[in-house]
Amino acid sequence: MRDLVGRLSALDPDAGAALQVIAYFDRLVETRAGLEAIVRGAAVLAGCPACLTDSERGVHVRVLPDGGRADAGPPPDPAWPRMAVPGGAATLWLERPPPPGPVGAMVLERAAAAARGVLDRTRGRAPARRSEDDPALVEVLLDAGAPPAARSLAARELGLPGGVAVRAVALEGGVAHVAPARKPVPEGVRAGVGPAVDVLDLPRSWALARTALRLAAEGTPQDPGPRVVHADELGGLAVLAAAVRPGAPPDPDVRALERAGSEAPWMLATLYAVAYAPSLRAAAARLTVHHSTLQDRLAHAEQLLGWTVRDPRGRLRLQLAFALRRLHHDTGPA
Amino acid sequence: MWRVVSAGWRWIVAAAFLTMVSTDQLVAGNLHDTGAPLSSTLPTAATPPPFDPELAAALAVLGETLPSSLTPDMIPILRAGMTNVPSVPDEALSRGGAFQVEERAVPGPDGAPDVSLLICRPAGAVAPLAAVYHTHGGGMITGDNRVGIEGVLDWAQELQLVVVSVEYRLAPEHPHPAPVEDCYAGLVWTAAHAVELGIDPERIIVAGASAGGGLAAALALMARDRGGPALAGQVLICPMLDDRNDTPSSHQMAGLGVWDRTANETGWTALLGDSRGGPDVSPYAAPARATDLSGLPPAFIDVGSAETFRDEDVAYAGAIWRAGGSAELHVWPGGFHGFDLMAPQAAVSQDARAARLRWLRRVLGG
Repeated sequence: MRDLVGRLSALDPDAGAALQVIAYFDRLVETRAGLEAIVRGAAVLAGCPACLTDSERGVHVRVLPDGGRADAGPPPDPAWPRMAVPGGAATLWLERPPPPGPVGAMVLERAAAAARGVLDRTRGRAPARRSEDDPALVEVLLDAGAPPAARSLAARELGLPGGVAVRAVALEGGVAHVAPARKPVPEGVRAGVGPAVDVLDLPRSWALARTALRLAAEGTPQDPGPRVVHADELGGLAVLAAAVRPGAPPDPDVRALERAGSEAPWMLATLYAVAYAPSLRAAAARLTVHHSTLQDRLAHAEQLLGWTVRDPRGRLRLQLAFALRRLHHDTGPA
Repeated sequence: MWRVVSAGWRWIVAAAFLTMVSTDQLVAGNLHDTGAPLSSTLPTAATPPPFDPELAAALAVLGETLPSSLTPDMIPILRAGMTNVPSVPDEALSRGGAFQVEERAVPGPDGAPDVSLLICRPAGAVAPLAAVYHTHGGGMITGDNRVGIEGVLDWAQELQLVVVSVEYRLAPEHPHPAPVEDCYAGLVWTAAHAVELGIDPERIIVAGASAGGGLAAALALMARDRGGPALAGQVLICPMLDDRNDTPSSHQMAGLGVWDRTANETGWTALLGDSRGGPDVSPYAAPARATDLSGLPPAFIDVGSAETFRDEDVAYAGAIWRAGGSAELHVWPGGFHGFDLMAPQAAVSQDARAARLRWLRRVLGG
């Protein structure tokens, strides 16, 4: 194809060369060549490195003008001639200064059109616009009953490459979010975070995420506790969650906690701090009250609850009462 | 680009000129008319193997500007066309000083003119080096000793080899045995002057593509039979070996790709005249005629699955093995004749070139 390059550059760029570029890519399409062959054709015919990327579908192919594949390249320069592959989010560019010239422009156009066909055929039609949380696709992805092929396709369309750990996140209100595990959890709302899994294992991650969400608190004085809960850290609380089903009557400790909470606005936040702080002194610091004030509050609280919260056993009972209260607030799907 | 890199591949352009693109010969009746034993094993419609996608695309572009057929009376036109493509200039041979380049006239065969050898020696080499004795392609009817030299210089640069490329007389003005005897005379001179040339006489290989591959194979036979230079290997790239021009692949690829059987007939007839395909053809003209392939240096043979020479080249490797010899054979899927020269960037071309280099490294211990 060094011959091709020579032949093209020797021809009238407005007529002959364009026709030959068309013939080249038409033949690639006809013989069902792959993306690398198409990008290589662009690089060779244009005489500079060419690169095709499609972040949605995890595609990155870069080829040098000598035909060698070299995916690592310089960061794309916005000035380089480029063309969006029609119908998707893929872009093909030529790594050289503008303008592309008539041959370069034809190479971009024909290569992009050829790449579109391959992308549609091999990687599914791209979504019209990028949407990480396209509800229909997420639904397929999280549905253990959906065929694995359908779930794989949904994953690709959501831009989740295979082989990368992903997780389901259950957001307040039951909204599902799926993302690579290394990405941060959405902020600002209650969230239960499922374990990192392979794409096809997302239904399991989703089930655990929803359990975690039930234990995520509002983070307010009336519902103290963390707003984001990771399923990985639940331990036996997951078993407890499974035991609290819709319609189950709150157990006596939860009722006692509710009763105490209605007695004073500081009550629940104070008890929560005592339940989870390493010491009473630390709890006082966290509540920004004097140690003696805390002692007074706890004496009052213990009277209402009916058990002491100043020894480990009592604190465990208090922790369980908070967890059960959360679970009763949010009894999960029927 | 044309000027700098294409000149070395003139033979392949020539080959493309010789290609028939008519499909007349795919008519089944034609196959039966040949009366050849191999033909009887062909299905009536022998579907040709598909070209590799990237190679097919390259062919689509080059085919645009190539005439569709060539008959013997068109050889002068072809040669005239070739002179319009500039040869590899000296500065391209030296590769920025990497090689010392010299053209040398040495004695030809008895009673014949001198032959010219193009000698490229890695600059600054002290110890004797292995050498490639190169016979160029061009269907026996075109080309000079710079045709195809660039691929050989690639090996030489990578492995520190001396390159000697021979200028031989061309058919039909100089029919067999003139071309191959010119090549042999140059080989004998090279081996005899190895010390002077900085060549290790134990590590000389012969190499060529297409007609040059046939000539290289013939040199290995001649050196064996005449007690000539002891060769360390023979690199036969899509070699032109069989004047009978009647293998299944030669029929199957008629009218397709590069150098079809009509072009092949033109080349062989130029070399052998009326004796082409007859009972008295020398194995030094057509190595496929050799009945004894024992005692030859290790061979590297490669060929495309979609070219005229596929079956004769595969058969040659098989005959070497049956004779107890060493051969490495690659049949690259979807390759047309000379595919890696016309489309060096294609993935299959890159693999083919890498395989040659690996073999050379093994055989020459470089």
